[in-house]
Amino acid sequence: MVAGDRLDRIDGRRRRLLAGLAGVSTGATAGCLQQFRSMANRNSPRDVSLEVKTVPADIDPRGIHIARDVADNLEAVGIGATVTPMDEQELLRDVLINNDFDLYVARHPGYDDPDFLRPLLHSDFVEEPGWQNPFGFTDLEVDDLLDAQRRSSGDRRRRQLSELQRAVARQQPFSVVAFPDDIWAVRTDRFVGWNRFGLRRALGILGLDAETDDPDRLDLVTTDDRLTKNLNPLASEFRNRGTFVGLLYDSLGRRYDGEVRPWLAADWEWSSEGGRPAARVDLREDLTWHDGEPLTADDVAFTYELLADTSLGREEDPIPAPRFRGRVSLVETVRAVGSRTVEFAFADCDPEVAVRAFAVPVLPEAEWESKASEANFAGIGLGGQTTEAVVWDNPNPVGSGPLQFEEREPADSVVFSRFDDHFLHGDEVASRFGATFETLQLQVVPSNDAAIEVLTEARADAAASTIMPKFVPEVAESDDVEVVSKASRSFYHLGFNVERAPLGNPRFRQNVARLLDKGTIVSEVFDDYAVPAATPLAVTDWAAPDLEWDGEDPVVPFFGSGGDLDTDEAHAAFRDAGYRYAKDGSLRNR
Amino acid sequence: MFAFRVLGLVLAIVLSMLVVATVAFVGRERLVRTPGDARRRIRAVLPYFVALAVLLVLNSVIRDLGPEFSWIVGWNITGGIHAIEGQFVAHLQSALFHPALTAYFSFIYVYGYTFLLLFPLVAYFALADTGPLRRTIVAYGLNYGLGVICYIAFIAYGPRNLMPELVDGLLFSTYPQYQLLTAEVNSNTNVFPSLHTSLSVTVALLAARTRDIYRGWWYVATVIATSVVISTMYLGIHWGIDVVAGILLAVASVRLAESSWFDWE
Repeated sequence: MVAGDRLDRIDGRRRRLLAGLAGVSTGATAGCLQQFRSMANRNSPRDVSLEVKTVPADIDPRGIHIARDVADNLEAVGIGATVTPMDEQELLRDVLINNDFDLYVARHPGYDDPDFLRPLLHSDFVEEPGWQNPFGFTDLEVDDLLDAQRRSSGDRRRRQLSELQRAVARQQPFSVVAFPDDIWAVRTDRFVGWNRFGLRRALGILGLDAETDDPDRLDLVTTDDRLTKNLNPLASEFRNRGTFVGLLYDSLGRRYDGEVRPWLAADWEWSSEGGRPAARVDLREDLTWHDGEPLTADDVAFTYELLADTSLGREEDPIPAPRFRGRVSLVETVRAVGSRTVEFAFADCDPEVAVRAFAVPVLPEAEWESKASEANFAGIGLGGQTTEAVVWDNPNPVGSGPLQFEEREPADSVVFSRFDDHFLHGDEVASRFGATFETLQLQVVPSNDAAIEVLTEARADAAASTIMPKFVPEVAESDDVEVVSKASRSFYHLGFNVERAPLGNPRFRQNVARLLDKGTIVSEVFDDYAVPAATPLAVTDWAAPDLEWDGEDPVVPFFGSGGDLDTDEAHAAFRDAGYRYAKDGSLRNR
Repeated sequence: MFAFRVLGLVLAIVLSMLVVATVAFVGRERLVRTPGDARRRIRAVLPYFVALAVLLVLNSVIRDLGPEFSWIVGWNITGGIHAIEGQFVAHLQSALFHPALTAYFSFIYVYGYTFLLLFPLVAYFALADTGPLRRTIVAYGLNYGLGVICYIAFIAYGPRNLMPELVDGLLFSTYPQYQLLTAEVNSNTNVFPSLHTSLSVTVALLAARTRDIYRGWWYVATVIATSVVISTMYLGIHWGIDVVAGILLAVASVRLAESSWFDWE
């Protein structure tokens, strides 16, 4: 980032030094030279300049609004800042894979259990792609707390999580901004039941009820075209919550009614081995893949091996899949016993945490085994960094889920159809989650406005991507289009690359976080369809009581009030943290 | 897929505009003489037409693949443009804003622009001298060719995408159906330079060259071209810098089209 600058400066100094030396007579004293040396070997401080990456307004006007607020306030306190809008997968590639960013504003995909914080913040994961410590954050105290919380349960775990949240809030590897409500626009003339899970979960789509006799096709539109380009459940830059891929690929368990319940598994039985949990999982009978081949215990065991090391031992170091990393890291060994039984041995953790491991997509061994090879492009290898399993776009996915893939047109549409051999048809959960449509078509539209236009004209049943709050009144007025809204655990945050100076300094990060006026952002950017927050567990029972939002952030309160930045206060705080200002008001960094 | 209905409407309206303009500017006399001489005129410009067609096909292929490729080799200049011109477009929009103007500029951006590009082909075909038609085709080709190179080299989002709370993407928020159409044609990262600006200014510059023949068209082309240029900013789609670059591209394209390089006879 600054290597070029530094070389230029060194060069400049060298020239000045030489020019100086030329004027010095041979009689120059050692003392004089000494002074030259100590002057010349001192790096002059430089202006700090930061880039804030985020997605453009067509994808999400809120992210870019927050990013511009941050950039404007950084500028106001003497720190150069630019906002760079990027396509969603490009942003996630830079943040999650290449670690190429200073700051970013994005939505975390959300979580079911606080253990998601372990891959996100533990130093063990600092070199891994995906939502595995994209910040490069390392703190031994936080590591210990992350390890401790997964081993405990009840009040003990709650206390450990509170302590963890306080440590993270002080360190600010990322700053939580707000938890938005997800708002969808839907039509109710052909399908009802949209508000059961909302549209962010596969079960929400499966659980729709037909309003008319056999509507054969569910028509959805979205502003997110990534699914049309890539259907790989392991590709972190193409997935948020994996809603649609979750229709194609089943997991041993799915979370509904508050916990992970058997899905592909008929049942599971917990035991303990040397103080660590173990489980014996029995699969349902007659499971098949979409291509008609039987789904066996071997496929399940293979899946967990592949996710733990997508090279299947071919590379010197394992290359774990970037998605489901936290879940898979709970599993020590998996063994197929017979064709329908799988035995799991878990790492040192509580069974309530361990059960999370059952909610990962099961992949067919026959197809994915060959994907363990080193990824290459036109025959050129990438040096053992990644495998085909992670990077291929899975153009013709074969899963075992309730829907099967039919066709796709990149950047335009994807079509799935009902998989009639699925166990849902003829099962007690079927009445809740048995798809009432023959096919599902997802079409890409360029924006929120376009999505609502298409809905109003009855050319689609719902917009699968969320709409902005400003459209709520317009949608509410329309006769056939309705608003569905759900609080979400997918939080907006400002992420810091702590491997880049001066963002490695927690006091600098705290001060940058204090440039965020979360309260005003929630009212102005989110039209109050969000809650401001100081911790990533804010909207859950696990939230630390002393980190509750109380009109302002209890750890990093905004510099100023009512939307107005108090630059004097901010300047003073940066000075307090050891930074200096140049005459022109710009902050300098050594 | 959703775009087909909008496309039909646009074609119908532009076609009627072309008919009216042909009657008004070309006149009966020239139209009557055209069929007899058509074969010679077509032969004279055919190589240019073929070249333009090849370029347009190439262009559509590149525009399909371009955005992906652009993310690999391109330079994201959105932040830089914003640093230079700041909130110019936001100020322009709030100073001019009026629902009637939004309707006018939206009409101009979609229909006026398409008409502006197509009418010269009709009007100049009606001339015995094939020079103006030839130069028009060459200038269009240069605009597209150089424009696409810029689109690959530079990634830039328009002001509505960077500061949505200050700059309303008026065209698409008022008439979302048009975005279904333009999204088919172009990616939202292709704003530098503004091809709407460059092609419109190109037509106006060429119209100025033929003002002794088509004086009325010169006036109309100038008014529409100016409106298109303002509309790109008023509608929040382009930055001022995209427009400046578009004008420069237009001047360069017309100059080149008039140079001996493209006189293939």
